[in-house]
Amino acid sequence: MALTPAGLTPHLSIVVPLFNERDNIEPLVAATKAALGDANDWELILVDDGSTDGTTLEVRRAAREDPRIRLLRLVRNYGQTAALQAGFEHARGAIVVSMDGDLQNDPADIPRLVGVLEQGDFDLVAGYREDRKDPFTRRLSSALGNAVARALTGVSIRDTGCTLRAYRRKLLDGFFLYSDMHRFIPAAAAGLRGARLTEIPVSHAPRRRGTSKYGFSRAPLVLNDLLVLAAIQSFRERPLVMFARGAMIAILAAMLSAIPALVIPLASAGPTSLILPALPFIWLQLAGFLVLLGLIAEVVLRRHRVMYPGTPALVRQVR
Amino acid sequence: MTLELGLTSHPDAGLQVSVLVPVWQKPESLAALYQEYARPLRQRPWAFEFVFICEPGFEAEIRELLELAERGEPIRILQVAQQLDESRLYNAAAELARGEVIVTLPGYRRIEAEQVPRLIDRVFEGRDLVLARRWPRRDAWINKVQNRVLHWLIRWTLGGTLRDVACGVRAMRREVLLKTPVYGDSFRFFALFAGQAGFESVEIDTPQHPGDRRARFYRPGLYFRRLVDLLGLFVILRFTSRPLRFFGPVGMTLISLGLAALVASILVGLAPVGGLGRIMLLTGIFLIVLGVQAIAIGLIGEMMVFLQAPQQTRYRIVERLN
Repeated sequence: MALTPAGLTPHLSIVVPLFNERDNIEPLVAATKAALGDANDWELILVDDGSTDGTTLEVRRAAREDPRIRLLRLVRNYGQTAALQAGFEHARGAIVVSMDGDLQNDPADIPRLVGVLEQGDFDLVAGYREDRKDPFTRRLSSALGNAVARALTGVSIRDTGCTLRAYRRKLLDGFFLYSDMHRFIPAAAAGLRGARLTEIPVSHAPRRRGTSKYGFSRAPLVLNDLLVLAAIQSFRERPLVMFARGAMIAILAAMLSAIPALVIPLASAGPTSLILPALPFIWLQLAGFLVLLGLIAEVVLRRHRVMYPGTPALVRQVR
Repeated sequence: MTLELGLTSHPDAGLQVSVLVPVWQKPESLAALYQEYARPLRQRPWAFEFVFICEPGFEAEIRELLELAERGEPIRILQVAQQLDESRLYNAAAELARGEVIVTLPGYRRIEAEQVPRLIDRVFEGRDLVLARRWPRRDAWINKVQNRVLHWLIRWTLGGTLRDVACGVRAMRREVLLKTPVYGDSFRFFALFAGQAGFESVEIDTPQHPGDRRARFYRPGLYFRRLVDLLGLFVILRFTSRPLRFFGPVGMTLISLGLAALVASILVGLAPVGGLGRIMLLTGIFLIVLGVQAIAIGLIGEMMVFLQAPQQTRYRIVERLN
């Protein structure tokens, strides 16, 4: 077997975050080798995200047998986003592919993803699971999540939950994941960095070993993250505009709530008669608060931009 | 600014243990404390040093320690130029400490001195952080009650299994102290912050020092402050990288309650008498406004986290192969 000589930079890096996937390591490595062959221009980065079931031992064994397989072991379970970020930051290839470690993604799809990316028209090629092999409840929650993601971010993504994606290195170099944002990398890449993306169908297998780490209970958290992404997309350059819009709505509410005070006589309700005239002022207080918050946000943003110039823009030469 | 006053009889090379003693508030006799806690360390093969880090205003204590240092005891004395909190005192001392293993020792007796080497042994065995728990506890009943209530609250709000946060005697690898960001007077919760930074801790039972057995009553303000600390830590430890996950649900709950009150006010009716309806209306609008404010503050927090994301390390790697 051809082995990657030490120090040789591979063309393709495959990043797989793992949490308690001991039984999947051997078939995952075998499937990846079968898909990518004996060439030594790829590396498989297995990020052990604080597993406690012996995943580390399995990865160590695989890494000792084949230098193209790399182990990154995190000190504790940080979650998939941090594990992916660790893998991205240690990937050496010009093209990086992310994939789940539960074998529901098929490594045989990797060459197709890379092939589309190498045509040069896109910065990111995302897979979408055409024929999902998940339980109905999971497919339903996923469909709802995708619809909400499209509505909130304005980026048309069919399958935010599919981790099988190929990225250009230069896209990831200026990309920082935090919280649980791994699901929305395509939306964030398109919305925040202007990345060109496309989707292609990929196969999907039912989970055969190990247990799923996700369920319907995560839906509120996913919704929360989506709101954050949508908000950041809209206010990352001019936060005052977003807060001022909120203030305008509050002023409108103040005007509407003034109507009953004008219609109903002041003394008609005895001791509570002052409540109605007071309502518009509560809304006005909110409007003032939002404007002040927007101003603070502007100051924080400007100050940050001066101190840290930010990620270089994605530039492509048209001719 | 830190001024080094003392000297050490130990060379830098081979120094294995640094015992850090912050000198603030009202310490006991430091010379006696040093003699008591250095004795069991001398019986071990480790080279050690005691680093006393003093706030301004402890000149008498410093003179006492200088006399010991001049007699060749392995003592270093650092004096900071201004009053600092416990965390900053420890951080200042940690930067100058030279041992591979750091022991934090309050300026008063908490556990029996013979127990400190046990903590250090566990660190040399490979533990990141070893905490002393005063047990068996032969304490005044009031202390026991306070201790139980405090630790129940800590477990309820912050999780973890800490059973004696107030002890303050800890042994750890030097890296743990340097890489765990703690500030203010949160140092008593050091183990929780260390856990966030990826270091594992273990608490071991150590007999309580007889000098520690006295009833403790504090000002009511201090109990209030501890409760506020817990609330702050709850948010900091769980939501620092995702503030909207705290402020969002709080805001949505308030808005939902507010909407419910608005609906109720419409059902009750605003006029002609309408006292109850108007109060409901006021309550509803008040809650909605509060909810919107909570979400807006959460968004500001998210913006700050987003801006700082490139400067933050979000994981720690302990092993790399190939």
